[in-house]
Amino acid sequence: MIKQLSLALMTAGLASAAFAATEADVEASFNPYKNGMPSVAGLAAGTVINKANVEQFKDALAVGIYKMIKEGYYEVKVGATTQFEMNKAYVEATKKNLNTAKLGPNNGDITGFVAGRPFPEEPDLKDPRAGEKLAWNYKYGVNWGDNAAIYPFFWKYRNMETGELERTIMMNMHFLNFKHRVQDAPVPEIGPNPSDLFRAIYVKVLEPQDLKNTQLLIQRYDDDQKLDDAYLYLGFQRRVRRLATGQTTDAFLGSDLMIEDFEGYNGRVSDMKWTYKGTKNVLLPMWNHNDLKLTDEFKDRDGYKYVSFGGKGECFFDGTWQLRKAYVLEATPVNANHPVAKRVFYMDAQLGNLNGAVEVYDRKGELWKVWTVGKSHPDHHLPLNKGTGIGIDDAFSMVDVQSKHCTTGQFKGQVDPKLNPADMFQVQFMRGGD
Amino acid sequence: MKWYPNKKPPSTRLHIAAVVAALAGPAVAGGLPDMGGSTTPWDVDVYYENHTAHRGKDATGKNVGLAKFRNTMQVEADKRLADGWGFHGVLRGTWDGVYRMNKGEFGNDAGGPITLGNASGAGGSTTVSHGAGVVNNGSGPPGNAFGFDINANPNDGMRVLGDRWHSIPSGDVAFGVPVRPCDEDKRGCRDFGGYGDLSLSELEMPEFNDRLDFIREAYIKKNISLENGNNLFVKLGKQQVVWGRTDLFRVLDVINPVDYSRNNIYDELQDIRIPMWIAQAEYRMGPSESMQDRNLQIVWNFDKFRPNNLGQCGSPNAILDAGCFFRGMANLWDNGGTVANFANGNTATDFGPHQIGIRDVDLPDWSLSNTQLGIKFEGVTQEGVSFSLNALTYRSQLPSLRGLVTGPTNPFTGAPKTAAETNLIAFDVHYPRVNMIGGSMDFEADSIGAAVRLEGAFTSGEEFANTARERLYSENKVFRGVIGIDRPTFIPWINPRRTTLISAQLFWQHIFDHEYYKKGSRVAPSGAVNALGPVGMPDWEDNFIGTVLIKAFLMNDRLSPELIIARDFRSRTHAIAPKVEWSVTDNLKLVVGANFKGGSNARNRFDDCRSCNPYAPFTGTAADVGYSAGLASYEPLGRFRAGPIGVSMFEDDIFFMMRYKF
Repeated sequence: MIKQLSLALMTAGLASAAFAATEADVEASFNPYKNGMPSVAGLAAGTVINKANVEQFKDALAVGIYKMIKEGYYEVKVGATTQFEMNKAYVEATKKNLNTAKLGPNNGDITGFVAGRPFPEEPDLKDPRAGEKLAWNYKYGVNWGDNAAIYPFFWKYRNMETGELERTIMMNMHFLNFKHRVQDAPVPEIGPNPSDLFRAIYVKVLEPQDLKNTQLLIQRYDDDQKLDDAYLYLGFQRRVRRLATGQTTDAFLGSDLMIEDFEGYNGRVSDMKWTYKGTKNVLLPMWNHNDLKLTDEFKDRDGYKYVSFGGKGECFFDGTWQLRKAYVLEATPVNANHPVAKRVFYMDAQLGNLNGAVEVYDRKGELWKVWTVGKSHPDHHLPLNKGTGIGIDDAFSMVDVQSKHCTTGQFKGQVDPKLNPADMFQVQFMRGGD
Repeated sequence: MKWYPNKKPPSTRLHIAAVVAALAGPAVAGGLPDMGGSTTPWDVDVYYENHTAHRGKDATGKNVGLAKFRNTMQVEADKRLADGWGFHGVLRGTWDGVYRMNKGEFGNDAGGPITLGNASGAGGSTTVSHGAGVVNNGSGPPGNAFGFDINANPNDGMRVLGDRWHSIPSGDVAFGVPVRPCDEDKRGCRDFGGYGDLSLSELEMPEFNDRLDFIREAYIKKNISLENGNNLFVKLGKQQVVWGRTDLFRVLDVINPVDYSRNNIYDELQDIRIPMWIAQAEYRMGPSESMQDRNLQIVWNFDKFRPNNLGQCGSPNAILDAGCFFRGMANLWDNGGTVANFANGNTATDFGPHQIGIRDVDLPDWSLSNTQLGIKFEGVTQEGVSFSLNALTYRSQLPSLRGLVTGPTNPFTGAPKTAAETNLIAFDVHYPRVNMIGGSMDFEADSIGAAVRLEGAFTSGEEFANTARERLYSENKVFRGVIGIDRPTFIPWINPRRTTLISAQLFWQHIFDHEYYKKGSRVAPSGAVNALGPVGMPDWEDNFIGTVLIKAFLMNDRLSPELIIARDFRSRTHAIAPKVEWSVTDNLKLVVGANFKGGSNARNRFDDCRSCNPYAPFTGTAADVGYSAGLASYEPLGRFRAGPIGVSMFEDDIFFMMRYKF
């Protein structure tokens, strides 16, 4: 057994060592549509996929979305596939640091990574660690860039059967990369950083009254083997509580999302066993925000309008979907007591994000939740996001298909460093409020 | 309510001026905010809450009935001001209808005539009415000053001290306590610092007083960026400052006093901390080469002192029944009264005024030297361990009863008490200065899937009852520590998809130089020993209290059942508090719950100082003045052994609460 394992590791190590990505790989990674947009017979911009014609397009749909349409919960409106040109600084960093990142002996080990996409080469089904490399590409992906905020962020809890709106949460969510920064000063790292933190997420709840002033801080270490530090400030206790690991897989504020679900997957690479299952063209929710049917329900002071929702129980966003090149990636928790048996991600090849379409399976192996986050092209969103090269998360739908319940999210994503000062991501910041 | 009638509290303007001066450079440089000059609107939330509680039988066997019909309106307001300043205010007004709706228990009709023990049977009965003590002016020695004016202290509107929380054994010491609001019955009314002399309207609307308690919070704050990259965060005004990492217990969290009269220990601390006028400044240094985060906080509580509100006797929540002991003792001092089984430890005795009891309450006036100052360093290590180091100099928030040296009248002779006559149960109340150092930390214990919290504090200056000392108290150093473990745990039959929180804490209190003499171990100069029982400090040298919280989350966390169990190991009593919270909508929350107590107070008796021998030769030999034989009762010191749980043994409540946000 040990011998077999050693051989596997050696093979993997050799495979990693033997392969060297080229600039052409980088070009292909960030522009997979150089030779043309993907297509599926019968599918074109303007097509509406519904219960009646879903079988025709089954292969172009993520499994979870297919089920939602087949059940008659949702109709997918198809838009044209568009280029989401990546952040130039991130692309440059990828080129500059090409082939410096190497996997270590264990899942979650990486050495030599500086910045950019660590493994831009096309994944190979023969590579036993291809899934892990994609997970690293996600972890060190552009995601929200060096820093950004969803400011504000509205979550609604709904009974999908009745459409009853149970709760509306208003919060601000902030992101900051401490390390591997590519664009916003300071580059490449905010220092001093004695704990070698990689990234942090800070959340502050503004409404409703019983959750008001609840704050969450998650600090992730660059060393993927180290557990995240997570803190919760409860407004009614006026005290910061350290969260135990188990709480990151609990429903966050009673929603259908775990903390671990944030952004598609919000955990360590080493928490999961990653398996690359292949590449396919699938429909993912990606659009131009300004071209959508929007809602003014939150009466934003700046006149910003949010993505509207419809479908069964108003659990689904009114956004368009486009055919994208995606890597199918399966993540199985290392911890046997994890409430999730596996997640299946459809990773957008160009952006490297995981959250366009996700299926979450329960411990019995049955589909539990269907999770989709729609992205807007930054040039067709708020003016300050123009030219950032960051896909702006714009709306989400998390459907618990077993309990027929959903949580929806409406974003006002702002790529603005001023909203995310470094001290906001320290524990003391949570205590300084009310 | 009158607050410290001999001195007016300093004005708010003075407070702000002092704070501005103290914070000097940065605050002045930033400029004080212009409350009307901001372009952002006020963010205002308005809440209404009804809290209704029903209480079962007390120790007399009588059903108490309605124990709370509290209606609260609360307004929370925030505004961003100019120059980066922000304002936060909370206004609260309460009306508790219990004093009118259950006036036979808590209002103008509470109490009645009482009888007191006379175990010797002298005078022909083993009980006597208040005012009919067998030892009195007529039966005492020549020239005695026993006896009192029954018209000044009539046998009405009274209860027997302690009858709410324990039975009254036939040989125990006891006396009557007036229980009606102080506008109805002035007897024994003293201001102990916010309670003790409240009228009916002040009891039912507690926030509307001279200290403007309806202003729960009103402060301004600003984060000032400094040239060196660090930040200075300042917060000035009426506020709560919370230290520590512990639930339920107050180890480091002692900057603000607490109002236990609102709902004993069962309300959230944020609702019962008494906000004070405080200036705090945090120098936020952020990370260094060796630490992830560093902050230095200075807290200056420049408000006029106020202690914990322990609840006025006759109100539903009088923690430790202390308010009743105080009022009864103050009444004894002012008017004299009958004390059960006193003379010879078995004969009801009518004391005259100014012989025993509580004379004065020494509430610290406002002065610079009476303000309170704290400093805290809070940090996160490179490895992610959060910790704090704390120091605070403050006034004790609990009263200390110091035996009088002079002032009382010797009832046997009518002469003034001399300094040589010690261990007399006549007191002034003081709030001594206490110095505290401590710290706290938390970290994640991955091996058990839990977060671990530790907190500890060492104090000097606290005072405790001590029947072995001439003035019946001693000053002792104290250590308090808590370890807490929070473990989210999957309990499939509760919720297979979401963890249930299990949180356990163990509290430890150790009193240094604890003085306690077991029965027969203290030898008086004459060779006599404390043959009747232990003598010394009723508080346990080492006490332990454990708590367990189990909180489940159902229906997307909108339905949350929880169970809290607390066990006081030394008092051998416990509390069990189940509760279910239901967030019906974002604006409406309903809560039903209960708290039940169990165990036994049988051991919670202590030397009551009837046998302290203050007045030789009448009470014992001259050689042994002050040497108690250890004759014990539940009252008055058993409460320190029973603790808050044991003393509320007969306060089993069920409650309903509704909170609505407009």
